[in-house]
Amino acid sequence: MKTENQDQTQPMVKITNLQKSFGDLTVLKDINLEIAASEVVVIIGPSGSGKSTLLRCVNHLEKPSGGEIYIEGELINDTTLKTKAFETHLNRIRCKVGMVFQQFNLFPHMTVIENVIEAPIHVLKQDRKKARKKAEELLTQVGLAEKLNSYPAQLSGGQQQRVAIARSLAMEPKLMLFDEVTSALDPELVGDVLRVMEDLALGGMTMMVVTHEMGFAEKVGDRVIFMADGFVVEDSSPQEMFSNPKEIRTQQFLAEI
Amino acid sequence: MLDWGVIVHYFPFLLKGAVLTLQISILSLLLGIACGLIAALCKLSKNPLLRWPAAFYIWLIRSTPLLVQLFIIYFGLPQIGIDLGPFLSGVIGLGLNVGAYNAETIRGGIVSIPVGQTEAARSLAMSSSLAMRRIILPQALRVIIPPMGNNFIILIKDTSLVSTITLVELTLTAQRFIGSTYKPFEMYLMAAFLYAVMTTTASLLLAKLEKRTSRGHR
Ligand SMILES: Nc1ncnc2c1ncn2[C@@H]1O[C@H](COP(=O)(O)OP(=O)(O)OP(=O)(O)O)[C@@H](O)[C@H]1O
Ligand SMILES: [Mg+2]
Repeated sequence: MKTENQDQTQPMVKITNLQKSFGDLTVLKDINLEIAASEVVVIIGPSGSGKSTLLRCVNHLEKPSGGEIYIEGELINDTTLKTKAFETHLNRIRCKVGMVFQQFNLFPHMTVIENVIEAPIHVLKQDRKKARKKAEELLTQVGLAEKLNSYPAQLSGGQQQRVAIARSLAMEPKLMLFDEVTSALDPELVGDVLRVMEDLALGGMTMMVVTHEMGFAEKVGDRVIFMADGFVVEDSSPQEMFSNPKEIRTQQFLAEI
Repeated sequence: MLDWGVIVHYFPFLLKGAVLTLQISILSLLLGIACGLIAALCKLSKNPLLRWPAAFYIWLIRSTPLLVQLFIIYFGLPQIGIDLGPFLSGVIGLGLNVGAYNAETIRGGIVSIPVGQTEAARSLAMSSSLAMRRIILPQALRVIIPPMGNNFIILIKDTSLVSTITLVELTLTAQRFIGSTYKPFEMYLMAAFLYAVMTTTASLLLAKLEKRTSRGHR
């Protein structure tokens, strides 16, 4: 197994020369990125610029066409591994990487608490009692202590999204990926979800956040990345990005929103 | 009109035939579910060595009559040294037959589940088989059970075809007594009544099962 040399300053995520094509369409052309532990990186860019594709490559929901992605120094798209060994390797890394989707993707046939304990019990082989206790804590933390035994269909979008966050956190990930997690929500429900994410950031979680919420980017982000046409066009602090963007593409994009 | 004396006298014998019909139905159903699930998963597999045989099986069964399939198993196979006897031939023939129809039903149910469900499961580090077992199949069941229940009702009725391979189930029992009583109307009416009781009971049980699998849906 290929690994980068392990030292204290090793980045949580390191992406080198990442490429991704769908047939003839090259969505990611050459992405290079390093994210340190506890860093919150907000990713912005026009529709179709490959923001979702980038996040999905990081936990290998999309298979990169080229380049490398390392999570804590470990190469995720390790092509030297055979099918079975690769699946084991992948799932081990995926335990460290949580992902929250725009459409929540809760399991509709399970109650809120069942959604949260499912993977800890069946993947991490945790004891049911322990998993439940942890899940109750997490659901309390996201403000849903009252809804343990509800089904997803009985919850508002904002509540469902907070369950989805708790479900990811139950795996005790080191990195969280958020893909436009407030875009499908009614405006009055967005705040609750963003607050949960802000708390998470304050607690030291490493986060990659694709969002249109520039207020959140400015307040919570350590870095903002502007993507366009398959490249990282600009990568700077939120203050720099929003008050003094260097690239013309960035200026145009920020002027439009 | 109807000879009630004959009905009262022969009803217990037909009931015995119906019990055999029920046994054949249930065993074929179990075989049909197993075959259907395996064939559906194989047909959805990325591996052509699994996909092609499954597709062939489904195509072969669905493009030929059940009666001919039963004849091949009961009359044909002994010629190459495989003599299963009427009961096993009947159960295997019916099971393989309903299995092919179930396979398409199950496959349809699985692909109807939004891809986001698989992605959520995989991003929680579930293996593809765990995701299938815990996340996809339980949801697909809700979609699968009504049409598969329909397949089962058809199966109960199709068991009458195994009367042609000397299995003395309900239909053949009725036919045999016609020879000695000359009362085809009474005999076939009793048989029809007993089939109706079995299919209706099955429908009612299925409706209950449907309710139970719709957990979480409004
Ligand atoms: N599975 C796929 N097959 C083919 N094309 C795809 C696939 N997934 C994404 N694309 C294409 O890749 C491009 C980038 O998509 P992506 O979803 O990464 O963009 P995005 O930056 O997240 O956009 P948005 O802001 O609209 O979410 C789009 O042109 C999209 O149509
Ligand atoms: Mg997107």
